[in-house]
Amino acid sequence: MNEEIDEYDIYHQDFTTASEWEVLIARLEEILFEWNLSKSKLTKTCTEYTKKWIAKTEEVKFRGLSFTLTYNALEPVKNTDSEREPEEKSFLNDVQQNLWDSTTNFMDNIDGSPFPVSNWFGLKRYLMLYPKAPLIDGSLIKLIMSSVNIAFSIVDCGVPFFVKIREHWQHTYLGIFEDNDYKVSFDVIHLKRISNQCSHLSGLVSMFKSKISSPVPLDAVVISTKFSYELKDSDSFTWRKRTHSNEFLSIDGFDVKKLIELPFGSENNPLHSALLNAIWPHFRESAIVDSSTFSDIDPIMAPTWTISLKLRNNINCMLSEVIRKIMNLLDRDSLLMDVLGLSRSLGLVNPLNKITEAPITISKLVKAAVGRSTHFSEFKGPISDDLLMPLLYYVFPDAVEDNTFPYPDTLEIGNKKDGNEFKLCSYVKTSPEDGLVWRLSVTLARLMDAGGLPYLAHFWYEFTQELQYRWEHRILVPGVVEGAPNARSCLLHQKLQLLNCCIKRAQEGSGASGYSSEEEFFDCSEDEEAEDQLPWDRPVGRLHRLDDITLKNGAPLYVPRTQDPAPKTEDQLEEDAELMVRLGDDAKASELRARMMSASLLSDMEAFKAANPGAELCDFVHWYSPRDWKPDDGGSLGDRMLLPGNPWVEAWNVARPVPAARQRRLFDESREAEQVLHFLRSRSTGGVAELLLPAILKAGAIKAISEGAQATSSSIGGVDKRRTFEIAAREILEAEREACRSMCVRKVLGESAEGKPLDVAGRTRVLNAMGGALPAPVLREFTLRVKDEVGPQVMRATLSNEMTIVGAFTERIVCL
Amino acid sequence: MGGGGDMKWQKDAADQNFDYMFKLLIIGNSSVGKTSFLFRYADDSFTSAFVSTVGIDFKVKTVFRHDKRVKLQIWDTAGQERYRTITTAYYRGAMGFILMYDITNEESFNSVQDWVTQIKTYSWDNAQVILVGNKCDMEEERVVSAERGRQLAEQLGVEFYETSAKENINVKTVFERLVDIICDKMSESLDSEPAMLAGGGRGQRLTEQPQGNSNPNCNC
Repeated sequence: MNEEIDEYDIYHQDFTTASEWEVLIARLEEILFEWNLSKSKLTKTCTEYTKKWIAKTEEVKFRGLSFTLTYNALEPVKNTDSEREPEEKSFLNDVQQNLWDSTTNFMDNIDGSPFPVSNWFGLKRYLMLYPKAPLIDGSLIKLIMSSVNIAFSIVDCGVPFFVKIREHWQHTYLGIFEDNDYKVSFDVIHLKRISNQCSHLSGLVSMFKSKISSPVPLDAVVISTKFSYELKDSDSFTWRKRTHSNEFLSIDGFDVKKLIELPFGSENNPLHSALLNAIWPHFRESAIVDSSTFSDIDPIMAPTWTISLKLRNNINCMLSEVIRKIMNLLDRDSLLMDVLGLSRSLGLVNPLNKITEAPITISKLVKAAVGRSTHFSEFKGPISDDLLMPLLYYVFPDAVEDNTFPYPDTLEIGNKKDGNEFKLCSYVKTSPEDGLVWRLSVTLARLMDAGGLPYLAHFWYEFTQELQYRWEHRILVPGVVEGAPNARSCLLHQKLQLLNCCIKRAQEGSGASGYSSEEEFFDCSEDEEAEDQLPWDRPVGRLHRLDDITLKNGAPLYVPRTQDPAPKTEDQLEEDAELMVRLGDDAKASELRARMMSASLLSDMEAFKAANPGAELCDFVHWYSPRDWKPDDGGSLGDRMLLPGNPWVEAWNVARPVPAARQRRLFDESREAEQVLHFLRSRSTGGVAELLLPAILKAGAIKAISEGAQATSSSIGGVDKRRTFEIAAREILEAEREACRSMCVRKVLGESAEGKPLDVAGRTRVLNAMGGALPAPVLREFTLRVKDEVGPQVMRATLSNEMTIVGAFTERIVCL
Repeated sequence: MGGGGDMKWQKDAADQNFDYMFKLLIIGNSSVGKTSFLFRYADDSFTSAFVSTVGIDFKVKTVFRHDKRVKLQIWDTAGQERYRTITTAYYRGAMGFILMYDITNEESFNSVQDWVTQIKTYSWDNAQVILVGNKCDMEEERVVSAERGRQLAEQLGVEFYETSAKENINVKTVFERLVDIICDKMSESLDSEPAMLAGGGRGQRLTEQPQGNSNPNCNC
């Protein structure tokens, strides 16, 4: 390729005296040949195209002006069955047929090609010579057009060829296509004003006819018309405008229902404007009169109305705004209690303070509380008591006799249901719907939205105070799922589950000695043999017999009452795991880990020894790890238990017979409870946001779905918390925007689709919204067409405050 | 853990030269050979009897998969009933499970369903599982046929291998297969959520662990 160009250059520079326009013609010829655009090489147009335009480009120079020549073509669909039969139909027929077919479209259609000519004239492929500087000089335009004409003829080009002329702002193009007998000229006029003759249909029709200048009478001209009206007063379409929902803050009208209903949707109308098109698709020139003095055209009578909507890009969505305000807190690492100036008095400032030491302020505050309502505290926060109390009763409904908002009877940590609402943000850890974490998080989000950070901090403070009170008075926290922390639920919920475990344990163990004596009593009465045994060897802490299994010494084997492993929240488990990982993975570390983990093994062994006096390790193993027990010899240890340095043997050797009730607690409820309370009080602002976001996002997702947002189902893994929140918040924002838009589209279009004919109800609705009359059209468009003996003749005009007229006229170029 | 911890930590930090980290768990009844299986894979050694695992232990092995260094943190669990609560706490965050039974022990095979329930209850929704029938060298004592294993695996919708840690049969295969399944699942979930890539802005796959992230599997 390069070589060819070199030869070309040498040829022209060295041996000829060709003029510049001969060089231009030769250059155009060369490119058209190279692109295989002559009719003999070009493939016929095919039936199906994708919507993609493909382009080839070359630079062309003429008299110091540079041009870009592009070949634009729609990409054919590749898998059409076979090459179309080489029909008799010529390239001209193709061009004319497409031109005729395109007259049902209007000029403002967008077909994705770089220039509007393809849409105006129904072209599937075309050439465009585009000058870098505007081509204004008339004689220059003529010179270039004739060069194009000559090159076109020499190559016998099969593709219409256009030249962009006039100023760049003007959509003005000149184009040609010809074969042996006929020539099609494509002309365009684009002016910033409307000439009198062209301002109405009858003027355009006579212009069209004079352009064709047919020697014989023409058939009636067929016309399509579209009048477009811009409906700018978008609020006239009843837009559901919500009163701003922070009115729950007003004391008089406090309504928890208003509080719990998260706001949703756009504050302002997502609709910018609507464009109404009144369309007459097809009528003969005499059917409608539209002249300079009189017009029949009444848009209300138009057979078809379509609407296209212009929506605002940036819609402020209220739900996402609430979420955003919490998300914005994530980066704040100062203590939340700093906001209230309470960090010092709560003992949170000096990190060296022992966390188990209950801060003095708190007990004082709690003691100051009157009766059952514990919420009157010395501290005066920004939220007035009139508002604070109902909010606290909403989160702790069991604190009043006539609780209006009890928690649901069954709380579920459900994420696995297939319901639609669980699909949006399904990867966010959940907490029971309408449980305490849920209510607290939504309340705090609303308080943050309405009153800012001091409100959030104040309520968080009151929340932790109430938890402190409940721990001290052994009152379970309501609205939390029973049992050990569930790792499927969010961390805040796990912490509250753990606190409830502590409270429960404290309730049970309030008389630790009473508990164990009861045990002993139970054991004595159950066990007949106990009488015979020496007091110091008396069995204690038996749960039940293990089938009819006996010890090696022949006595029945009893399963002891044991301590449950300490319940832990996910952050504690992560800490444990990290600690173990840090030890490394060699043999020594492994041994160390076994020792760390043997606390509960030792406890079980001691309980076993207490319940089964005289038992050996093989008896313990018989119960605990039966596959390491061998029946030989009345019971013996399996190989694994005989290995030297065995932690099982070591633990057995140091284990003393102590029933679970008298052992050191594996789970120290006081310490754990104080830790939970400290954890919650000493969170940074960002830390609290992190605790609240899972429930807020979940509540938001459910709200969005209930408002008709579409659920996207995505699964994510291995992403940190922060990213998970960001992804979820974005999903909700998109869902919210989309819901706003589609709601707004429905308001205007009803059952009809955008760009498709409106149904009768839609026309009435739109007309009513416009007050029964339409404004002046912003755009009028006419397509005029007729077929004479040489082919289709087409002219189109759009009239707004400017005027564009395009025409494609076919003429015979051979004299008969 | 104070004493000696610092040194180990440094060593571990230097170890963090990897593109991905997968946490895997080996679970199954007591004495089906979980520890032996892990030692065969990680150290290529076999000892007929290991001390019965107390609670939970782990080993690390780094492998290359599709030009990526994948660090496997393989947790070995105690199979005894009493350890269930302790071990299931570690299920969360595991990307893959090797569920093992002993082909010479009917009971361990009958417990497979229970273990699957445990996984469903305590692990991530998209954790991957492979069913493994171990000790296939002990043909004479076999009580669970390979066919029953295969049928159960099919019923559970998981892959199945018979292995022998002693004769080193299929040990490496099981781990490699599990890593592959996890990789496939990962790219699947990436494909289904293009928005995540668009918003990721970090130019890396989201499932990829940034180096030195101490908490790589946190998904809330």
